[in-house]
Amino acid sequence: MSELIYVIVSNKDTTENFEEILSETTGIDDSKLVVVPCDNISAIVSQVEKADIVKDQRNALVFAQTVENLSRWSTLLPMRFGSVLGSSDLVWEMLSKNYSELEKNLQMVKDKSEFGVKVFGNAEELKVKLKANSEEFQNSLNDHSGTESESNFKKYVKQKLALYRLDELLNDYIELVIADFNGYLNDLRVHKKVRKKTTGTTIIDGVFLLKNDKQTELIQAVELLESKHPELNFILTGPWPPYSFVDITLK
Amino acid sequence: MSQNKILNNSGKVDPSINDISEEADKLQNIVDSRLSLTPDNADSGLAKLVLTLIELIRKLVEKQAMRRVDGGSLSDEEIERLGESLMKLEMKMEELKKYFKLTDRDLNINLGPLGDLM
Repeated sequence: MSELIYVIVSNKDTTENFEEILSETTGIDDSKLVVVPCDNISAIVSQVEKADIVKDQRNALVFAQTVENLSRWSTLLPMRFGSVLGSSDLVWEMLSKNYSELEKNLQMVKDKSEFGVKVFGNAEELKVKLKANSEEFQNSLNDHSGTESESNFKKYVKQKLALYRLDELLNDYIELVIADFNGYLNDLRVHKKVRKKTTGTTIIDGVFLLKNDKQTELIQAVELLESKHPELNFILTGPWPPYSFVDITLK
Repeated sequence: MSQNKILNNSGKVDPSINDISEEADKLQNIVDSRLSLTPDNADSGLAKLVLTLIELIRKLVEKQAMRRVDGGSLSDEEIERLGESLMKLEMKMEELKKYFKLTDRDLNINLGPLGDLM
């Protein structure tokens, strides 16, 4: 049997009834959750057959559910699904070797949760609208409109240039939406990771780490953004354990 | 995603459809983009990998070229030669894709958390 690690917690930040919560929460295959302490931090583990875990993808969902259940009661660092060590001594050794990094990350996510914001908009439809509304783009098309005497190579470059400018228009527009959102989030002191995409339907995919009591402000920021950009669709989800904000390469 | 995790939805999006279909597409793309090498298909498996890299570089070159054209730093003659080179490159890529029975989707590999390559 091996030890599957679910989360790392700070012993100082767990609620008084955390031990009780642990005894009521189970892991994969209803396994019992056990604490492996190392000074001020602990790993929450359960015993598993290593080969069994990867065989069944449903285990990943149970794992995520266990992490989420625990996150309601303590600041924690979620471990990657499938983090297995051979014994509790090895778990202790891992905690000990990475102690300062783990503690630093725990401090960073203390009393905070992750929230996700997805902004949907059809990139191609947006390009059509942006093209129609951009006087500069229309003028540039007129400037570069082909003539009969032009070679095919030059016409080809002009076609490519028009597509390039459309991409740039969309890019500028997405930057503008992100800047608006950043403006609304200024007072919340959030950590954020925002990815923009200029193809498909999701044009912005962002994750935000903020204090648990700032959830209402984040919802308001998204509502403000919605009213400013009615052509886009927004989904705000959370609170999640801080999956995207743990930055450790374990030794 | 459980419904109670949705704190705000502008109402025009059905997350159960959009999110799931998008994630399913991503998963499918991950599966499709795996390099499948067996003794029988070593040629096409490697061709997919090599052509993916070539296509990425071709698109980067094209983008940089358009940036220069847009900036107005190229003469008419240079634009002419650029057009010829880019057009021939694109045609050659199409030829190679056809030869190895690959589509644009095959060459757009998924880089996990980083998203699609192109």
